[in-house]
Amino acid sequence: MGEARKRVMVVDDAALVRLYVRETLEQAGFDVDEAMNGIEALEKLLTSAVDLLIVDVNMPQMDGFTFLETVRCQELPLASTPALITSTEAGPRDFAAARAAGANFYLVKPVSREKLAQFAAILCGTEA
Amino acid sequence: MGDLAVLSAEEFRRLCDFLYRRTGMAFTDRKQYYVERRIAERMAATGAGSFATYFSLLRIDVEGEVERLVNAFTVNETYFYREEHQLRCLTADLITDRLRVGRAGQAIRIWSVPCSTGEEPYSIAIWLLENWPMVDRYEIEIVGSDIDTGVLEKARSGLFGKRALMRLSPALVEKYFAPDGPDAWKILDDLRESVRFSRVNIVEPLETRPYGHFDVIFCRNVLIYFDDASRRIAAENLYESLAPGGYICLGHSESMSRITPLFDVRRFADAIVYQRPAESTHG
Repeated sequence: MGEARKRVMVVDDAALVRLYVRETLEQAGFDVDEAMNGIEALEKLLTSAVDLLIVDVNMPQMDGFTFLETVRCQELPLASTPALITSTEAGPRDFAAARAAGANFYLVKPVSREKLAQFAAILCGTEA
Repeated sequence: MGDLAVLSAEEFRRLCDFLYRRTGMAFTDRKQYYVERRIAERMAATGAGSFATYFSLLRIDVEGEVERLVNAFTVNETYFYREEHQLRCLTADLITDRLRVGRAGQAIRIWSVPCSTGEEPYSIAIWLLENWPMVDRYEIEIVGSDIDTGVLEKARSGLFGKRALMRLSPALVEKYFAPDGPDAWKILDDLRESVRFSRVNIVEPLETRPYGHFDVIFCRNVLIYFDDASRRIAAENLYESLAPGGYICLGHSESMSRITPLFDVRRFADAIVYQRPAESTHG
């Protein structure tokens, strides 16, 4: 008898990237929701919670940092949802900004399928 | 349905002349039967009782008849992962080479033209997801264009039959498609969203002009329908649509060198492709 599958939401404006993440994590045993920007993600989160957020930084409408800051200002338990930032930027300032916005971890793109599945498991607390 | 419209030599010549000027498609006398069959179809559909009547409908372009006739002519049979060696070349060599030039956050732009019912541009998206480890690192823009608005509608719908999927492994079909009724599969929404479709006639410079700066163009098995003059115009339009240093892939029986000296021939392990020289001397 396994535990209930963990639920992940990928927030990225690129459809191919969402599909890449979704397909990788579904293969690894997660359920995956998608949102194309921070606004859509917030709307979805307010009606159904997830166990992990995987968030891109550069997105139209609402960028990843603003989105995370907004999530952290919500009521518990939503505010404490673990969040993994994925970004093409790899500078110390970007890492600092992500931490300040409330990210739990930061991966620089490209993120391999193995790494993505591994970090999702760690942040969801299901790593074997 | 009435009898096949048998065109007189003079009628056939006038029709071909008209089609050539409007679309760039050239038909020789040997294609008369093929042309007549399409004309008969369109005469039946429009209720024109004679070729003369039909030809006047066509010339005034009643209810978009030119486009409808073009749609009847274009051959649209294709399938996913057709000429897979070119897809291998895309990820093994072409994109890697294009990323060597500084590109400050610009998307990688790929154009599939003509794209028919969408198999080619969607194949490119699936191929990149499956075979290119940088797929989440770069913004990728895939555009599919065709002269035939009917096939573009189908492409946008993302519905495919068994034949179109015959070269994909069952695992790939399961991963990227959902069954939609008997013998039909619908491609995932994220894939539909990752390709933009538009109508374009590649022998019409005014229509191709907005399409610039592509890194790679797939233009397979269309130049064979054109005569030398249209082919050269199409080649020049495609050249202008490429970024300097960008690549164009043709069908396996086609050769750009026979059409124009504008491009450099590049032989990679998986395919021969044509490159717009990085230092542009054209103009």
